Amino acid sequence: MRDREPPRERETLIEQAAVPDEDIDSRDAALAATGDAQAFERLYRRHVVRIHSLARRMAGSESADELTQDAFVRAWRKLHQFRGEAAFGSWLYRVAISVILAHRRRLAIHRARLAPEEWIREGTPSHEKRSEIGMDFEGAIERLPDRARRVFVLHDVEGYKHHEIARMMKITSGTSKSQLHRARMILRTAMA
Amino acid sequence: MMESNKSDSWRARLSEYLDDELDPSERAELETHLDACAECRTALEQLRRVVARAARLVLADAPPAEDLWPGIADRIHERPARAGAPATARSRVPPRLALTIGAPQLAAAAVLLVVLSSGVAWQLGRGSLSATGPAETAALAPSGNTLPAARIATHRYESAIAQFERVLAEGRDRLDTATVRVVEQNLAIIDRAIDEARGALAVDPSNAYLNRHLADAMRRKLDLLRHTTFLTEL
Repeated sequence: MRDREPPRERETLIEQAAVPDEDIDSRDAALAATGDAQAFERLYRRHVVRIHSLARRMAGSESADELTQDAFVRAWRKLHQFRGEAAFGSWLYRVAISVILAHRRRLAIHRARLAPEEWIREGTPSHEKRSEIGMDFEGAIERLPDRARRVFVLHDVEGYKHHEIARMMKITSGTSKSQLHRARMILRTAMA
Repeated sequence: MMESNKSDSWRARLSEYLDDELDPSERAELETHLDACAECRTALEQLRRVVARAARLVLADAPPAEDLWPGIADRIHERPARAGAPATARSRVPPRLALTIGAPQLAAAAVLLVVLSSGVAWQLGRGSLSATGPAETAALAPSGNTLPAARIATHRYESAIAQFERVLAEGRDRLDTATVRVVEQNLAIIDRAIDEARGALAVDPSNAYLNRHLADAMRRKLDLLRHTTFLTEL
């Protein structure tokens, strides 16, 4: 599996952040794959901040906790597929992105089928129910249209290329580019 | 007007320019336009700031407000990491094998329940039989007593519900938490409707509307559980 390489200008910033020891991750991943939940908890503790932040930026604050848990549970079940060719953090990241993207698609389909009648009301998490978060940049990202937000986070925050985003989101590269531009043009007002 | 259109056209490509995705000739044309268009130069500078700000967001990562590990631990302890590892809780039963009532029987239970509900109400309301009634009801009506058939349908329905609920409980951890929440909320609403209809029918058993409403709610519960069980198998 190919590791995603962040843009060069971002590598220095990432090095300055807390980067998990990849050797320790690999050892804990191997232990967790045998059913060692304590080893998996150590992996969780080291990676939850990044995964939760990703979930929050891509899907909103209301879904971030659930999606973070779903991502780690999915990773637990797929540990036997982690071969160590890539850093565990990178592999976990891809699992989380897959969970987050699938969540939005599935939720839209399921809500239409699970609660079709007017007399069945569901608590629908929506942008309108978010608490006041002011005009800060992260708040502005959260208020972006869904698709534009996901593309923006994947491209400008996480460093993925348009062809990678297109494959993950099942869209064209052209759509990825236009959604990115749309997001940036909206966000520039938040920087004003 | 034409200049405005050209400006809009180039503005739409500023992100590609910023990301170095234009071919050399397009890049040269845009740069010529930027020399003459203050509005586009301003927009470009704003986009640069957005990109730079986004690149630093990773340094602003923050942990969740609550420790999410307990919820994760609960779910992973029911499913081992590898197929060969020992299960720490109940063993997994393939959903398909856990259901002993087949799809045709379930469909029959649902239809029979609905028809009987409407047939019982109709019979008690009209006090006589009619050839225009549903065929199934007409077939049952000549005996003058639909209660045994209603009991059979109810038993089949309740057996089907119990089976689905067992399979769902076993496959629950294969669903994401948001889906589980939606299903639980809707089941609670449907169960309330069923309880209310039954309570009302205890006082007014011949009420045709209440009978239909009850049958409708029970059918919806069956459909909801069937669909959710299907999702656990994906």
